[in-house]
Amino acid sequence: MPSPLLFHPGFSSTWRRSSRSSSGRGWRSTSNTRWLMKQSLSVLDRPSPLSRYLSVRTRRDRVNPSRDCGGGGSEHHAHLHLTAAIQSDPACWCIIVLFFCVCFQALEAVNAQLRELYPESEELFDVVLITNNHANVGLRLINTINHYQLFIERFCMTGGNSPIGYLKAYHTNLYLSADPDKVHEALEAGIAAATMFTPDKMTEVSETQLRVAFDGDAVLFSDESEQIYKAHGLDKFFEHEKAHENRPLDHGPLKGFLEVLGKLQKKFYAKGRRMDCPIRTYLVTARSAASSGTRALKTLRSWGLEIDEALFLAGAPKGPMLEKIRPHIFFDDQMFHVEGAAEMGTVACHVPYGIAQRAARKGGKDKETSPVVK
Amino acid sequence: MDNMVSVVLNTDVKQKDADSAVVVAVTSRALFEQGPEDDETGVWKLSRAFPLLQAVQKVNDCLLEKNPAESLLLDVILITTDSQHQQLSSVLISSTRHHGLGVGKFFFSSEETFIDCLLENNVQLFLSTSKDEVLMASQKGVPSALLEARKNDSSVQCQREDLRVWLHEDLISPCDSASQPSSRHSPQRFLAQLGEIRQRFGVSDSPLWISLVILHGGRENCGNRLKALRSLGVSVDDVYCLAGAPSDPLLSLLQPHFRFNCSFVN
Repeated sequence: MPSPLLFHPGFSSTWRRSSRSSSGRGWRSTSNTRWLMKQSLSVLDRPSPLSRYLSVRTRRDRVNPSRDCGGGGSEHHAHLHLTAAIQSDPACWCIIVLFFCVCFQALEAVNAQLRELYPESEELFDVVLITNNHANVGLRLINTINHYQLFIERFCMTGGNSPIGYLKAYHTNLYLSADPDKVHEALEAGIAAATMFTPDKMTEVSETQLRVAFDGDAVLFSDESEQIYKAHGLDKFFEHEKAHENRPLDHGPLKGFLEVLGKLQKKFYAKGRRMDCPIRTYLVTARSAASSGTRALKTLRSWGLEIDEALFLAGAPKGPMLEKIRPHIFFDDQMFHVEGAAEMGTVACHVPYGIAQRAARKGGKDKETSPVVK
Repeated sequence: MDNMVSVVLNTDVKQKDADSAVVVAVTSRALFEQGPEDDETGVWKLSRAFPLLQAVQKVNDCLLEKNPAESLLLDVILITTDSQHQQLSSVLISSTRHHGLGVGKFFFSSEETFIDCLLENNVQLFLSTSKDEVLMASQKGVPSALLEARKNDSSVQCQREDLRVWLHEDLISPCDSASQPSSRHSPQRFLAQLGEIRQRFGVSDSPLWISLVILHGGRENCGNRLKALRSLGVSVDDVYCLAGAPSDPLLSLLQPHFRFNCSFVN
């Protein structure tokens, strides 16, 4: 097994489990998180795609009950929107609540620091819950949110209508769902989307730094190179990538989301917070640094996007690397990797985009993901 | 003569039961376009209130389909709110009949008399395109709302839409502090009747769609609203707790016919 060639400028292997910020929002303690983990494990035997989706959103408006927000609203340029729908069955809440708790603290950390550095700015993360349910379970939804002490301020119950309309109206940058059909619908509507899977166990993640990991092809980039690989094999793939090194790849469904994260990161950099930026992004790809990796990096550069760490695994399994990085969330277009990540305790999301899906649908389990690189 | 209001029945339309029907008054300015009559037919063109009338018609048709003896129907009356239109009664009547609109009655009143007219005739909802009129009527105790502009979507206009009502708390505009719970004109009564109409239909086959939009405050506020509405018998279809987010995107998504202020409901 070749060791992965790591390429990570400025990698720091520590993340702080620091004291809580003074945001005054009433942070949940770590012991609480452990309690919730226990609850969830007792309810469910094993991870399964959940028919619910999680929503988080950066929004322009701060939560301010006395403010009149009647007008405007069309210029939501730094909008990140992960959407969550909750089934009314309380048992199903445990896993989503768990994920929510884990992710939320990091998001709040980012928010707290953004508010500190830019008190006038309205660009923050936020949490919005969207459910297809009819409003007749509205009180039950609210009671459940209260019960699990989730800090959800915004929620929508669409009464059976597709949430896609709402996502488009509010310029959503990312949509997470446990329902693959909804995810497909969102992708087709041009919204970055992924199907969420939660792991057997949850590795502990940072409460102070939000970490997001992406696969390269068919997630950040289009699947054009994967198509070459599938049609003509690994050698042709390498040749093709080398020959087209300087031609940027086309963009993939999650490029916009990375862009939004990048914009927020730049706000921290502008205030001298480069080394301890509370948002960190990772590229975790089966490409190899020696050959096909260059094109990936050049593509990112041509888009004006930075990624904090690029990990070229040259076909090695992603699970162990993800376990080291401990991202709050990981996106990949291949179920093999998503499952592998989940096994190691990472919250992994499947992006049903590109050629890998057609191969999967044909029934052949895709095992090509570990090509042996000599 | 100026102080008198004349009431004319539309003989093309079957009159609704005065005791049970929900009387909705729409201003003539909202229904017909400004400007001269159409040369050929001598009638006015339709304006913003037309989709509302179509939607109301759909609700009534569906109610009667379920129960041909249904008396809880929406009764639309046309009211003039300025003396100019008050004088043009014949054109108004002929335009209404020409377009086959389901208007039950005409109230010909002026700026000074229209609110009294609304109060005397048991109008439960007053709809206008004029903010001033809505404000004045609300202050006097008539539940009122502004008619929303529709998107120009030809595919939507071809078919009859459901009646879409958006309930919200408008804490900025003054609401009618004069209304008593037992008042005939109270907003609670209108909402209760709306809720009852909604109950006639199931979850998915309803021609009436009620959305609750909580503009400010969090889920506690939202929960209270839901409970208050439920106690009136109003079961909403969708809920949006915006907590300060702008409402315009939601407005263009939901496309309600009107937005009704339910902040007084406790």
